[in-house]
Amino acid sequence: MKTNATTSSVKASAEPEAEVSASSHSISASEALFVHLISGLGLGLAVLLAHYVFSVNLVSHPSLTLRLIWVIECPIVILLYSRYRKNREDCSYLKAVGRGLLGLPVGALVSALGAIALGTPVGTQYFSKTISWSLMMSLFTIVPAASVFGVSWKDWQRIFAHTKPVGSVDLIICLPAHGAVIGAWFGAWPMPLDWERPWQEWPICVSYGAIAGYLIAMVASSCFILARATLQHVKRD
Amino acid sequence: MSSSLTCTKLTLFTIAGVIIQTIGLSLFVYGFFPVKPALSGFSGPESFLAPTCNSVHNQSERDLPPDQLKALYEELSGIPSFDRLVLMVIDGLPAEFVLGKDHQPPSKALMEAMPYIQSLLANGAAIGYHAKAAPPTVTMPRLKAIVSGAIGGFLDVAFNFNTQALLDDNLLGQFLKFGWKMVMLGDETWLKLFPGLFIRHDGVSSFFVKDTVQVDQNVSRHLVDELSRDDWDLLILHYLGLDHVGHIGGRNSILMAPKLLEMDEVVKMIHTSIIMNQENGQGETLLVIVSDHGMTENGNHGGSSYEETDSLALFVGLRNHISDYASYNLNTVSQVDIAPTLALLFGVPIPKNNVGVLISGTFESFTDDQQLKALELNSWQLLRLLQAQLPGLSCENSPCDSFSHDQGSRKSKCNGSMEIMVCCLYRNAVVLHNSWKSKDVSRSYSREDYSSIVAAYYEFLKTASEWLSRRVTDKPVNLLAFGVAAMLLSCLILLCLIFHICKEFYCRETQHFDSISGMYTWNLAETFILGVMLILVISMGSSSMVEEEQYIWHFVTSTLDLLLLRKTMQSLPAEKSRSSFRLYNGTKKIGFQMCSIFVLVISGRTLRGWHQGGVNWTYLPDISKWLEQAGSNYIKLIQLISGLLMISLCLFSLSLLGLRRKLVMVVGFSFLVSGLLLLQHIMLYQENAFVSSSCSATLWVQIIFAVLGIATIGTFMALPWLMPICVSRTYSGHDSHMSTSVPIEIQKKYPLLELKDSLFVTGWAYMFCWCLLQLLLQQPINSAPILLLLVQIFAIMIYSSYWGLHHKQWVEIAALYYLGMAGHFALGNSNTLATIDVAGAFIGMSSYSTLLSGILMFIITYASPILFLLSMVMYISVKDTSYLVIPQNADSGHLLKIMLAFPCLVPLGVNSILLTAYTVVLLLMRNHLFVWSVFSPKYLYVCATTVCVYIGVSSVAGTMIYSFLVLALRKRMQGSSGIDPR
Repeated sequence: MKTNATTSSVKASAEPEAEVSASSHSISASEALFVHLISGLGLGLAVLLAHYVFSVNLVSHPSLTLRLIWVIECPIVILLYSRYRKNREDCSYLKAVGRGLLGLPVGALVSALGAIALGTPVGTQYFSKTISWSLMMSLFTIVPAASVFGVSWKDWQRIFAHTKPVGSVDLIICLPAHGAVIGAWFGAWPMPLDWERPWQEWPICVSYGAIAGYLIAMVASSCFILARATLQHVKRD
Repeated sequence: MSSSLTCTKLTLFTIAGVIIQTIGLSLFVYGFFPVKPALSGFSGPESFLAPTCNSVHNQSERDLPPDQLKALYEELSGIPSFDRLVLMVIDGLPAEFVLGKDHQPPSKALMEAMPYIQSLLANGAAIGYHAKAAPPTVTMPRLKAIVSGAIGGFLDVAFNFNTQALLDDNLLGQFLKFGWKMVMLGDETWLKLFPGLFIRHDGVSSFFVKDTVQVDQNVSRHLVDELSRDDWDLLILHYLGLDHVGHIGGRNSILMAPKLLEMDEVVKMIHTSIIMNQENGQGETLLVIVSDHGMTENGNHGGSSYEETDSLALFVGLRNHISDYASYNLNTVSQVDIAPTLALLFGVPIPKNNVGVLISGTFESFTDDQQLKALELNSWQLLRLLQAQLPGLSCENSPCDSFSHDQGSRKSKCNGSMEIMVCCLYRNAVVLHNSWKSKDVSRSYSREDYSSIVAAYYEFLKTASEWLSRRVTDKPVNLLAFGVAAMLLSCLILLCLIFHICKEFYCRETQHFDSISGMYTWNLAETFILGVMLILVISMGSSSMVEEEQYIWHFVTSTLDLLLLRKTMQSLPAEKSRSSFRLYNGTKKIGFQMCSIFVLVISGRTLRGWHQGGVNWTYLPDISKWLEQAGSNYIKLIQLISGLLMISLCLFSLSLLGLRRKLVMVVGFSFLVSGLLLLQHIMLYQENAFVSSSCSATLWVQIIFAVLGIATIGTFMALPWLMPICVSRTYSGHDSHMSTSVPIEIQKKYPLLELKDSLFVTGWAYMFCWCLLQLLLQQPINSAPILLLLVQIFAIMIYSSYWGLHHKQWVEIAALYYLGMAGHFALGNSNTLATIDVAGAFIGMSSYSTLLSGILMFIITYASPILFLLSMVMYISVKDTSYLVIPQNADSGHLLKIMLAFPCLVPLGVNSILLTAYTVVLLLMRNHLFVWSVFSPKYLYVCATTVCVYIGVSSVAGTMIYSFLVLALRKRMQGSSGIDPR
């Protein structure tokens, strides 16, 4: 089903590709906003779908809900971000999509290891939850960068080690990724409190934090891009 | 940078800060945790006489034989007393279960669970009270309150694990003087409180909380036998089962009703036997059923909520019979009131420090005269206590003057200062009583007269009792304010010093290295370290965060590790293809760093998983539980393996120094010997508890102590004297890049390289000694965490020695401190006093000594923070600080300051922030529900951490200064003589 979606979207998005390639590593403000809007809407759609169609939510069925989120978000993110791949001369759209798909499990592994290092419980009953959560985190953080940059270590280092985004493509990758990680980090804080709420369980509040951080960072990134665009506009005048 | 602090000034300021902090802390502790103002000695016959200013104590009366004393007391008091007492303590029974709450009888299920007690209450044979217990509501202080009538302070609980006999005046002591024979069945706390007092006893332990049946059967099994005997005068029964039921399932546990029924059966049995004995003319026996504290909905206790303090006092067999159920079941008295009531009912002097008041309903059956006499006796006792506490309560207005001048005056309004008010109230009562006595002959009194006297007495007694008990829990505001102010001041001093040093070092550094490191705008790790302080301070305000503090430390340290990883990633070269020699060197360096960070992360995560600490989630699985299930053989194996790994790791790290000289070999060998001795000890004696407490095991441990002590102190003392000094030796350590930045003339003048070698070996000896000591003292399950902590330290050493200038020194030292705190919790400690390992405190001790076992307990509890503080010595030696040296003003003070300032100031500063913040939090939380169960134990831990930081920092500074001075002296001597010993 996923591959079907991928191929159909490829055809759909083949058209605007030509316009984008003109500016090598920077995209127009409206396009960046569009990317954010679609990813945000995808997330919202997933949550609504879980709530109304499957009548589950993050608290009652965390694993299922997270799976729903990443399954819906996966084609959206990969297809959207692959359009802004670097070095488009020697990298086709399909290759970028493939990189993104490859980046998904790798990023999930990295997120899971990071989460375990920070104290995620290890055990069979947490296994599926951790997997679903880390796949979601991977889509928020690693997958866009994998689609866009591939294996270019310099870019990865610039985005994730130095946090110095240059240009709007960097911004739309860097800010949401950092937002999701920081949100997840803060989301873990209520866990040791003795409020005895069901959402204090792993990975519910961490997922809430990650999603909230992701959304806030997307808004922030949109604002940045808009501000830059108006600034450039003024300069050009 | 107008003025730079000299070394002497810096030292003086630091010491001043520490001293101010100590003073502030002790003032605060003294003010916040009230030390019980106790009168020494026992009440004697003089308590039956009015307090006089020049009271002559007739010592001869005190030494009367028991029966004469009894006769004397009876004659003096004039109150007929009961003959025997059965004191039944039901641990944790809320009075609500028996008496109901808010004018409502208890629920039907509870009524049905205790049919006999309810029938006794209904027909007036029993009289029950809500006896409000003072916090902390745990067993030992409550028992003390019941028998002595005095309210203990919090520190009583703190030293609960080191139970000592109750030395203050108490009922049991008075009974003993009387010649009573006493029998105790039940909680062995009684045996700890009164060692050797009972003619027969069967103590049960409250340790196995899961056991709710056996613990009570062990009490009841003797009951039939004891009740048939008549050789005892006091029978104490202490049933723990109900408390255990509460701890397991809370108030509404399904086990609760059967347990109540069982207690009811016991009461029935005792009461039937009492009635039978009474009919046989064996004297009057009083049955008193009390509970030491209540319980919350979850069955916990310790705090000061209504549910926890609502304990029971039930008197069965008083001669009066009140049939009005509603009139008494609302009576709320204080738990301390039990002591004077029992004392007066049995005709013994009221214990000296009693703050309780005679319970009004219990004397209904006595004549008016006797009742007034009892009130009078109680008033005299309280007045004596008041006089001891209030020196201003002078003798002029007290009863030694006759009141003839206002004999006729009616009761006057009393107000004003405490002294005046108490005096006035007392005088009112006495005047009324005296006039009653004078009228007594004619018997022409009315009930109104009588009740007005009683009211006057009670007014005085209640006022005095309230004031006295408030004084115990009262906080002297001045002391607290002064203490907090002093701590704030010292915190400010230390922070200013750190700030100043930072400015001094790094202003220059940025000038010096501007071209290399570029911009120093803001550094994530530094910000995070500061942020952690903020998080910690904020989290202290929440009781559940205090309970689960280990999560914060683990989370924070692993986040810090990941941030360091990110930092390392930043300098990973972008292009791998151009691998010139320099770049290759760089990648190798970064590879080492990455490896050390991964080691940090992995060991940190393992440590976190080792013990599921805290309070609320202790039941979750963790590695230690899993290992304990696997069996003791595995634990022993792990212990041996970690011991071996520890020894080989340490020896390997010593060999890294590259000094293949006899000296290092000797040091290594001596520690190897003690390590092998230790392993042998584990092999021989860790098998079971019986062998490990045997004589030979103790001797073995003492030998290990001695060898370790001699090796460590010998290394510290002798190494600087024996370290070979070379005039021109290039540094051969693993951080060879550093020697270039120190000007050669300083190297010639000061023994920097020798100092580094010497410090490395000394620091190594400290750490190794400490780890071996922990391997010996800690529980076997904790041996692997000790190894992991050591691994973490080595990883940090490797990381920081390769990471020249990119990190500021204080970041690394703060990271070391944080890791130490995370390790503290990883070893199974928590912020409750329950996790202190008491068993380890007696290893290797042939006789009991409070001081020594206290020291051992401290060593065990603070294993990890002290280990990380001691690692500071090695850190100084591997960390390259030579770039900070200014050649033009390089004297020994300057060099010492550069090397010592941060390792000493940062732990002190961090700790002072935490201490001050927590002090303020505690002050704000003083009325919080959990102040005694959560916040105060945590404060004791904070204080102990402060002590631990003092110890660690002073040993680091002492080692450093000693080594430096000795080496400098030798260098100078060598320079003057010009002879090279090599």
